[in-house]
Amino acid sequence: MTALAASLPDWRRLARIAIPLAAVAASLLVSLLLIAISGRSVPDAIEAFLDGAFGSAFAFGASVNRAVALSLVGLGFIFAFRANLTNVGGEGQIAVGGIAATAVALYGHVDGLPLGLAMLLPMLAGTVAGAVWGAIAGILKVRFGTNEVISTLLLGFVALLMVYWSVQSTALLRQPQTSSATLPESLQIPVPTRLPGLTGDAESPLHIGLVICILLAVATAIVLQRSTFGLRLRAIGLNELAARRAGMPGGILLVGALAMAGAFGGLAGTIMLQGEQYYLKTGFSSGYGFDGLVVGLLSRGSATGVLAGALFFGFLRSGGISMEIMAGVPAALTLVIQGLIVIAVAGSVILVEKLEKGAR
Amino acid sequence: MHQVASQLPAEAVASQTRPLLALENLGKRFGSLQALQDVSLDFRVGEVQCLLGENGAGKSTLCNLIFGVYRPDDGLMRFAGREWVPAGPAEALDSGIAMVHQHFSLVPRMTVVENLMLGQSRGLLQHRAFAAKIRSIAESFGFSLDPEAVVGELSVGERQRAEIVKCLMREPRLLVLDEPTAVLPPDEIGSLLDICRRVADSGRAVILVTHKLAEIAKVADRVAVLRGGRVVAKAEMATADMGALVRAMVGREVKSLDVALSESGAASAPPVSAGDAPRPRALVCDGITVKDRHDAVRLDNFTLEIRAGEIVGLAGVEGNGQSELGMVLAGLQRPAAGRFFIGETELTEAGPAAVTAAGGGIVPEDRHAVACVTAMSVAENMYLNKLDRFTRFGLLRRNALNQAARGLMQEFDVRAAGADVAFSGLSGGNQQKAVLARELTLDPLVALVAAQPTRGLDINAVEAVYRQIRAAARRGVGVLLISSELDELIAVADRIVVLYRGRLVGERPAEPGERAAIGALMSGHGL
Amino acid sequence: MEETLAIFIASTLRLSMPLILAASGELVSERSGVLNLSLEGMMLTAAFFGALGSWGTGQPVLGILCAVLAAVAVAALQALLSVNLRANQLVVGIGFNILALGATTLLYRIIFGGLSREEIPGLAKLDIPGISDLPFIGTAFLQQSVFVYVGLAIVAGLWAMLKYTSFGLAVRAVGDEPRAADKAGIAVARTRWQAVLITGAMAGLAGSFLSVADINTFTENMTNGAGYLALAAVIFGGWNIGRTIGACLLFGAATALQFQLPAMGINVPTAFLLMLPYLLALLAVAGIVGRLEPPTALTLPFQRGK
Repeated sequence: MTALAASLPDWRRLARIAIPLAAVAASLLVSLLLIAISGRSVPDAIEAFLDGAFGSAFAFGASVNRAVALSLVGLGFIFAFRANLTNVGGEGQIAVGGIAATAVALYGHVDGLPLGLAMLLPMLAGTVAGAVWGAIAGILKVRFGTNEVISTLLLGFVALLMVYWSVQSTALLRQPQTSSATLPESLQIPVPTRLPGLTGDAESPLHIGLVICILLAVATAIVLQRSTFGLRLRAIGLNELAARRAGMPGGILLVGALAMAGAFGGLAGTIMLQGEQYYLKTGFSSGYGFDGLVVGLLSRGSATGVLAGALFFGFLRSGGISMEIMAGVPAALTLVIQGLIVIAVAGSVILVEKLEKGAR
Repeated sequence: MHQVASQLPAEAVASQTRPLLALENLGKRFGSLQALQDVSLDFRVGEVQCLLGENGAGKSTLCNLIFGVYRPDDGLMRFAGREWVPAGPAEALDSGIAMVHQHFSLVPRMTVVENLMLGQSRGLLQHRAFAAKIRSIAESFGFSLDPEAVVGELSVGERQRAEIVKCLMREPRLLVLDEPTAVLPPDEIGSLLDICRRVADSGRAVILVTHKLAEIAKVADRVAVLRGGRVVAKAEMATADMGALVRAMVGREVKSLDVALSESGAASAPPVSAGDAPRPRALVCDGITVKDRHDAVRLDNFTLEIRAGEIVGLAGVEGNGQSELGMVLAGLQRPAAGRFFIGETELTEAGPAAVTAAGGGIVPEDRHAVACVTAMSVAENMYLNKLDRFTRFGLLRRNALNQAARGLMQEFDVRAAGADVAFSGLSGGNQQKAVLARELTLDPLVALVAAQPTRGLDINAVEAVYRQIRAAARRGVGVLLISSELDELIAVADRIVVLYRGRLVGERPAEPGERAAIGALMSGHGL
Repeated sequence: MEETLAIFIASTLRLSMPLILAASGELVSERSGVLNLSLEGMMLTAAFFGALGSWGTGQPVLGILCAVLAAVAVAALQALLSVNLRANQLVVGIGFNILALGATTLLYRIIFGGLSREEIPGLAKLDIPGISDLPFIGTAFLQQSVFVYVGLAIVAGLWAMLKYTSFGLAVRAVGDEPRAADKAGIAVARTRWQAVLITGAMAGLAGSFLSVADINTFTENMTNGAGYLALAAVIFGGWNIGRTIGACLLFGAATALQFQLPAMGINVPTAFLLMLPYLLALLAVAGIVGRLEPPTALTLPFQRGK
């Protein structure tokens, strides 16, 4: 009896992990097939992929930096998901985070400040901006019952166009126009506002964003699994009416969960800006919001799962870009892989439930 | 079209002797629960047969087998001389079996005629022809029905009539009505039974499922009693011993309810006599008015005062404003007008947390929707409103929580495999006891509002719930007991007020002799 | 001034058309209880296959056929997942949108290579001598692609289907009370499947309108959120086909302003005008303008006996 009881959870956990893994493997196979069909050399493509993902200190660092941004969006996603909210607005939250951080870094007179404030204040601004963007969706949900999937999506489009607007107008963030060839981009942010490197190796782009990300992942895991706040989020997500009847502030929790998701997205945006890109341009968020969403979905609510998934997609993205440059395989292939994984995992929920029931 | 009521007599007379539907040794299991066992019954044309049984006796399961919703595990059915193995409700309908379900199967947002065309018409909708057909069927069975009315805006009785017309349009040979009287006010029951009689007389077989014998005695030809999934008695109604049937149904001496009655009379606090100083107020409702989305008044100027130690029963057929009152008192809905107080604290606009803080315990009508989070653990549910007690530095002290919950489970006899198992794994009775435990251990506890607290519970759980409510009253808690079961109210309450169409229409002492008077109030008579 | 107004009306109609087609198709599915967030993906897939078919065969009509078939295939997968496998409709929809963006971009690069902006054969514009040249009326309404008029006729057909046929009644019933519909003998799963396939076909028309009738080329991610706007229009329209079309026209008009205002010398930042349809959609879904109730069973899978 006890031996049997002890072995059951493992069974279930296995099904939970096995199915996403199977989905990942299957979609990787499909993509190899697509490469072959398109007439490109599969070994070349794989070589280019590995080279771009892990081939050098630079490649490795760039992949990890991507994973940091994806992790942050993914952590935000599982925060909101704990309250049964699906935040699809990561892209827009990255964008507003980037705008706010750029504005403060360039025009907030922060570059002379001591104690790392030059770096921290833009980061704070971006995080708050992201939180506000997430909270809007939360308020719409609580006040008007608007489904957060639709509202975060639409807010995402608005935010992307805000980036476009910001860098089109010199009254906003566009660099001073000296000639007709001046690109619609912001100036580079000053050196003191950038994130310091992690290794001291000039070759490696790794920056302290990695440390921030890991600390936040631990904090998220504790808050979601061990704290009363996490339990309340869960209660409100499972049964809002019962949670409110039990005295929980339903509206505040829902808005808070989406604001938290937005804050993580905004922080991801500032880290992308301050760690690597250093200036704002159209398309700044580069699809990281959607990738982060996929990471969050696949993690099934676990912070460790987010980190693992983010590393996978970080390397996938770096490898994909390298494949496009070196082997002529369009990087859109990585999107195909992601889409297939999301569909396979969502479609297998019933299967997992059945397996779990069977195990019981 | 006007001959609908008399269309099948020739065949009917011919088959008078052999049964239209025969069940032979039917059995059905759900997991480890044997819902039906060895059930053999037959149903004849021109006859109303009553299936009698308490909640959980297997009546609904039996209906669902006949109607093809489930398949039997053992035994077989014969319909019109052939073996009956329906693939689903669609085949049952096509073969001439129609069922009026306990929960209506109409789409509330559509009109009566739209509902009745559903599944009946092919290609283009023939709106006018259907509307005419509806009117003529209603007329031939002696009632009226507006085909263009939106179902959601009809009264329960009208909805049920629409449901019956829907069944009759298919010209069924067998009409099954699952607990048709449960939702009706007393004065509508008579006209329903008239309709049943007319349907049987028009050459069809009628099965009437109920747990209230008295109501249907006058219309049934035969009766079969189910208990624990078995047929425990069969009788011709004309010669039946009613007492024996009831004993067969409940499987115990009917006195038990009377015992509960006498016990309650002795147990609750004596009524306030003129000489005593008035006891403090526990719950005061002052002119509460609730309107729905369409601005219709659901609760009209509800005023009631409950003193400490008093149990007041709120009687009424469901849907007369009880749910709205429950939501307001739980702090989940703001009334359009009026105020309410727990103790001396006004809580009209305050919200659920303040209701709890002021000492308002709420056992809501819809346990799953409002009282608990079924996917969370028993312990988490039992302390859902007191989680702060187990929080240190923001973190939940899970061991302390589980330990406290185990103590409470013992005190209130909540049976579960542990404090950390999922709440959804508990039986309905244990879930209800857990909710009661949570609400009754509020500190302070001034007033308890319990809505339909014993619905769906087995007899032991019912008694446990009564016991807890009475004990709370003895401790000085003012109790508002909302129930549609008049017997329950008479057994437990000190006095009974009656809600009809959102208004308080009268007050009576909670005594068995008042049953008829209260029943009249519930149906809107005796005003 | 009158000429400007006529042109504005014409471009509103042209820009609204893909939204009208997609939204009225999505409406059918939502009335049956299935929400297709994959509308965007269906449209993008259709835009690509429409362009491919038209380019490959030289026949725009065959291109449209390809588009419809491709979108219906996506819809069939969506139906399988939402109706049979009872997957989370929103998550599946997001998956399809990512997949469609990746797959169309990939295929486009593979098939058309570096030759982007390949011009493809498009549909003719309406030209009835004497009538299409009428002042104002002609410019505003009678010089559109033939597709516009055919599309409007199909939308009218959908409206009549929902209102006057048994199928339409069944669709509404399974979206509101699937249990009741089931008891009335309606096959809930089959009805929902059919409704989703109709959405697919309409999304196919909408997507091919973009690539075959309007722009005459395919560009990566050319729908750029049009599917989401169509979804917002359904919400804005309160699941009523007339109001939904009104919402599409409003979004189309907002988009048309991008071209019209600068032409009239009114200086509004382009970014704001680009943002306008999304802002309007946001206000719409927030229910700030006239809120209505969605079908009761929207996004809820049906399982007998549960």
